[in-house]
Amino acid sequence: MSHFWKPTFTYLQYAQICARTVRNSLKEEARVVAVRRDEQGLKFAKWEAGKQGDLKNTVGNRTVA
Amino acid sequence: MNFLARSVRAVRPVRLVRSYATEAAATGLRLTFAVPHQTIYKDASVAQVNIAAVSGDMGILASHVPSIEQLRPGVIEVLEGASSKKFFVSGGFATMNPDSSLNINAIEAFPVEDFSAETIRHNLAEAQRIATSGATEEEKLAAKIEVEVLESLQAAVNAK
Repeated sequence: MSHFWKPTFTYLQYAQICARTVRNSLKEEARVVAVRRDEQGLKFAKWEAGKQGDLKNTVGNRTVA
Repeated sequence: MNFLARSVRAVRPVRLVRSYATEAAATGLRLTFAVPHQTIYKDASVAQVNIAAVSGDMGILASHVPSIEQLRPGVIEVLEGASSKKFFVSGGFATMNPDSSLNINAIEAFPVEDFSAETIRHNLAEAQRIATSGATEEEKLAAKIEVEVLESLQAAVNAK
């Protein structure tokens, strides 16, 4: 039981990679539905001294503006 | 003597395993198997569940020793009476409770029939290519993880 990915990835990142791999291996119909889950992200903004900063979006693992 | 020592380790020393067994015999194994977007089984009465844990493959029956197991990308088989259903999970955790209820949480889980052997073959070739000749170390490592998952998936699909 060696977690060879440990130095580079966190468990959550590892779990997301596995999930993405599984989703991409489905039959066509199911895959179209599943791949939408890959693109779920969240919106966040940093607040400083009571003022909201820029609103940023995450898509999957990455932060995009 | 060995049995007692093991049950003391797994269960708080005050209660004997025997008292859980009578409770369990009445209700059987109750399975709750869920992924974030779907509940596959909710408090369902099943006979046996085979899970692919990181520490090894195990078959869970009613009144199994309580434990928490990390699942590796692999097959979960649910046996109810005569029929069995196989699901491939991408990973997650299985928690066996003293009252014979089993909770399995996974990120993605699909019946093995929902996968396409052709797509798996293609993805596996692609991942193997990136694992050896990827641009960054991180990319190669991610590809190695994918190879591991896909090989397990391929074995599960071909075993049908």
